[in-house]
Amino acid sequence: MNKENRFIGKKVPRKDAADLVRGKAQFIDDLKIPGMLHAKILRSPHAHARIKKIDTTRAKELPGVEAVLTYEDTPVWRAGLPSHIGVLSNTVRYVGDAAALVAAVSDVVAREALELIEVEYEILPAVYDVLEALEEDAPQLYEQFPGNRFPLACPWMGPESLQGIFMGDVAKGFAESDIIAEGSCSYENLPNPLPLEPPGVIACWEGPEDLTVWASAQSPYFLKITLHYAMGRINVRSIASHCGGSFGTKVLLWQLAFYAAALAQATRQPVKMYYTKTEHFAAYTLRLGSRFRGKVGIKKDGRVMAVEGDWLINTGYCSDAAQGMVAVGCGELQLMVRCLNWEIKPQLVCTNRNASKMVRGYGGQELEAAFIPVLNMALEKGNIDPLDFFRENFVKPGDGYYWRDGNWWVSRGIDYGKAMDRGAEVFGWKEKWKGWLRPTAVDGSLRIGVGIGVHGNADVGEDVSEAYVRLEPDSTVVIHSCLSEHGTGQRSSLCKMVAEVLKLPIERISVAPPDSLVNPYEFGPVGSRGTYAIGSAVIRAAEDARRRLLERSATVLNVSADDLDTEDGMIFIKGKGGGKSGKKIRWKDGLGFDRTCLGHGYFEPDFSISNFLMVFVEVGVDTKTGKIDLRRVVAATDVGKIIDSQSLKNQLHGCLGSAGLDSAIFEESVFDPKLGRFLNPNMLDYKWRTFMELPQFDTVILETPMDTHSFQSVGVGEIVNAPTPPAVLMAVSNAIGVRLADYPLTPDKILRALGKA
Amino acid sequence: MRSFQHINVFTLEEAVSVLKDSGGKAQVIAGGTDIIGVLKEQILPDYPEILLNIKAIPDLDYIKKDHEGLRIGPLAKLAGLAKSPAVREKYGALAQAARSVGSPQIRNMATIGGNLCQETRCWYYRYPHSIGGRLLCLRKGSGSCLAVNGDNRYHALFDARRCFAACPSDVAVALLLLGAEINILGIGGKRTVYLQDFFHPLGNALEPGEIIGGIHIPTPPVGAKQQFLKFTLRKPIDFAVVSAAALIVLDGGICTEARIALGAVAPGPRRFPEAENFLKGKRLETNVLEKAAGIALEGAKPLSKNGYKIEIAKTLISRALSACLENESFNH
Repeated sequence: MNKENRFIGKKVPRKDAADLVRGKAQFIDDLKIPGMLHAKILRSPHAHARIKKIDTTRAKELPGVEAVLTYEDTPVWRAGLPSHIGVLSNTVRYVGDAAALVAAVSDVVAREALELIEVEYEILPAVYDVLEALEEDAPQLYEQFPGNRFPLACPWMGPESLQGIFMGDVAKGFAESDIIAEGSCSYENLPNPLPLEPPGVIACWEGPEDLTVWASAQSPYFLKITLHYAMGRINVRSIASHCGGSFGTKVLLWQLAFYAAALAQATRQPVKMYYTKTEHFAAYTLRLGSRFRGKVGIKKDGRVMAVEGDWLINTGYCSDAAQGMVAVGCGELQLMVRCLNWEIKPQLVCTNRNASKMVRGYGGQELEAAFIPVLNMALEKGNIDPLDFFRENFVKPGDGYYWRDGNWWVSRGIDYGKAMDRGAEVFGWKEKWKGWLRPTAVDGSLRIGVGIGVHGNADVGEDVSEAYVRLEPDSTVVIHSCLSEHGTGQRSSLCKMVAEVLKLPIERISVAPPDSLVNPYEFGPVGSRGTYAIGSAVIRAAEDARRRLLERSATVLNVSADDLDTEDGMIFIKGKGGGKSGKKIRWKDGLGFDRTCLGHGYFEPDFSISNFLMVFVEVGVDTKTGKIDLRRVVAATDVGKIIDSQSLKNQLHGCLGSAGLDSAIFEESVFDPKLGRFLNPNMLDYKWRTFMELPQFDTVILETPMDTHSFQSVGVGEIVNAPTPPAVLMAVSNAIGVRLADYPLTPDKILRALGKA
Repeated sequence: MRSFQHINVFTLEEAVSVLKDSGGKAQVIAGGTDIIGVLKEQILPDYPEILLNIKAIPDLDYIKKDHEGLRIGPLAKLAGLAKSPAVREKYGALAQAARSVGSPQIRNMATIGGNLCQETRCWYYRYPHSIGGRLLCLRKGSGSCLAVNGDNRYHALFDARRCFAACPSDVAVALLLLGAEINILGIGGKRTVYLQDFFHPLGNALEPGEIIGGIHIPTPPVGAKQQFLKFTLRKPIDFAVVSAAALIVLDGGICTEARIALGAVAPGPRRFPEAENFLKGKRLETNVLEKAAGIALEGAKPLSKNGYKIEIAKTLISRALSACLENESFNH
């Protein structure tokens, strides 16, 4: 596009900004459906137990209680990957697992009813550690998964989904290496992504086979599909409320939907299942536990000759996406390390704790957080600057990799070297990098160190999107994309794209409610796919609608459609648009006042382009208290073309929080293996950085056009936290001169490393 | 949260009388910043039927200077203490401690009485009822301490025997440093306890039906310099991993009075007489301060995961003492 854009890359107020600040935006807890009941869950005190007897008589007698359900009277719906979780079961598999459901006229009554349910449990042995779970005599969670191993296949990613990295000849690669490092590292502190709003679903049966759900959904249409298959092929209408943040965790809301729908079926009334913050913490979604043990062989110049290792993944008591995360993680590792000889063997293991599910960073963050500390040992031995290493190794145009579908893809992307260099310059990497395990500066007990991380994801073009764009005769436009607003501003950005295609003021463009009844299929804004995948469908739909509008107008004006153009709701002959002489008609004159015009756009998956983010961190460590102060972060990327600068910067800042950078400093779910319980399910004991201690944060955003859609951009939001945890390890290790690989680096660990505790 | 009655009372005497008549079914609420969390998560087996709102009692939020020192009403807000010129002038450690609590919103609600009466932050004690049921322990009158063989990274280093929960109050550390007394009101009348006697291994000195009536702090020694410091994982919001307060008086460069108090290391705030005595009569060079910090922590009995708190406590003591010295030189 040679012409100056009117909207793309320009400052335009977010469409929903006023509603958000005025409290008008409707989140799931704001919705009141007539006759709606409130659901509560009785949660298991045991990490593993069989329900011998459950007596709900007294709970049912409590005035205001409309239904109490146990495993004996819930419908046979099943979800999980492969399908293994019902609504309720006679076996509970973690402390907090659902044993019974209550629907009542109020939250208070429902909660009171829980106290009246009597359960007799037969306690079974439980297992929490990934290696212990793999032992021969370990307690078994599921009959159908012997050895507590989940199969690695992820059918919705294709019949050959990626189940590890196997290529070349690792023995030969190691033989040719100058330096071989071997070790292990665990990223198992299970940070909790914790969007502001807890998850919620309201279910209402319109008929025996027709279910409507309102949900705090990141992907409302995908929820419809999930429920359709999980609940016996019923017809589902899925409507998203404003979603108060998700970080991936509100894509798969089947479990809340199961609870609400089962209670709604039993009571024949709408039922709301909305988690408390405590449940959100202790019974919703954690990151995967990830442990890598293996070796890396490199040449003195930093070329990687071989990578080999076992990747043990602990997904807690169930899996509904972990196989996909394993596949994408294996793909992403190849994007950051260019190597011809690989043998990465993942094992996906279940244990008796709350589940790890879909979270931003999606497998790659977990794998790299455990792998990079081992890689760093090789770089340290070779005294190789990690910036040089990443510049050499990050995927370049023409490089190939196995992606999640198991296919070999060749990169059509750009060389991100320029963004790396620019980031390094802004950060001052050259001046601050003093070598491995060397502080940048020392001032009394304060030691300063720097670290670096990189990540890319070829999921920017994953999955299918569809959109309609409807032109109205009054020259307003409705975008039909089943995209919910989950905080990123993406619905607003779609309006910018359509405004640009139709050269129409953005005020005239709106997006239909995120309701599966009125919109076509949309996988949802995950994996940074919003810009390329969803954007492509919407842009094509707008172009299609524009073409139809001009074709129709051409018959009115008696010219060829190719000669026509439209701007600001007027149609005119090209080249004569601005002048007074040219004939101009309104859309209504072209369409007719009683007609609308519908364009349709598709996007088909494309894994040949990766996005990119490099993060630079500077920390100060107080060697007398072990406290880490995050002083500075620089996030560098290249997005092809900026759609919305503020939204993009907000995304880049998102590496703080959402189980990202601070999972290396203080974010962790503290687990007591004697009790099988997490001890810190609250915002005081779970250490989430507050606005009071934000570091200096700079973003470097380059715009090198990419071969995507007409605006030549890619998204980057999802990956922002992925490269950060090992970057912090590197920075702190350098600051104190001791190699650390123990997430998170709380004061006890720092002081121990310094021989002071 | 379950339902309860919320009743306003208008005098302390009325509060005491309602508490007595309720037969243990009523609990006091002031700022509510602690008790609401306790009730919401239903961490205790007993649940009050009545919350007695003492915020309705007029004129109990005073901060008054008199010839004996400072008198503080139980409803004085932490924000008020942090800002009060009277507190800042001679009781600086208290102002600093109050300022270190929570967030502005919390300090605007939280009272000094409530701060002293707050429940421990032990995460076993605080485990939420909704996720598999509350955990019972010695402190709740049933069972034994779960922290001693569990994750005790924030637990006590000193004086704990059967319950290893640490006292979370920062304000108490400053009050101990300054030799405060607590006036207690009950059915039988008034009594006064020293701050160090207020905290008990499993709670505090308040008997059923008793309530804090006021706090008195004697005037600090002439020329006393004070400093409160707090170590947390995050700057705002967090409770102390360790907090420390120091007070010194110098005469011609020689220490004539020294007080050291630590918080979050024992069931109550704790003084360290041996370390204090070590400082007296000495010039306070850096190595002397560090030596004193070492002496203070000599008796620490770390559990499996809280040994690191010793190093942090030592650092805080040295830094608090040095800050007193810096104040000294700055003032002259």
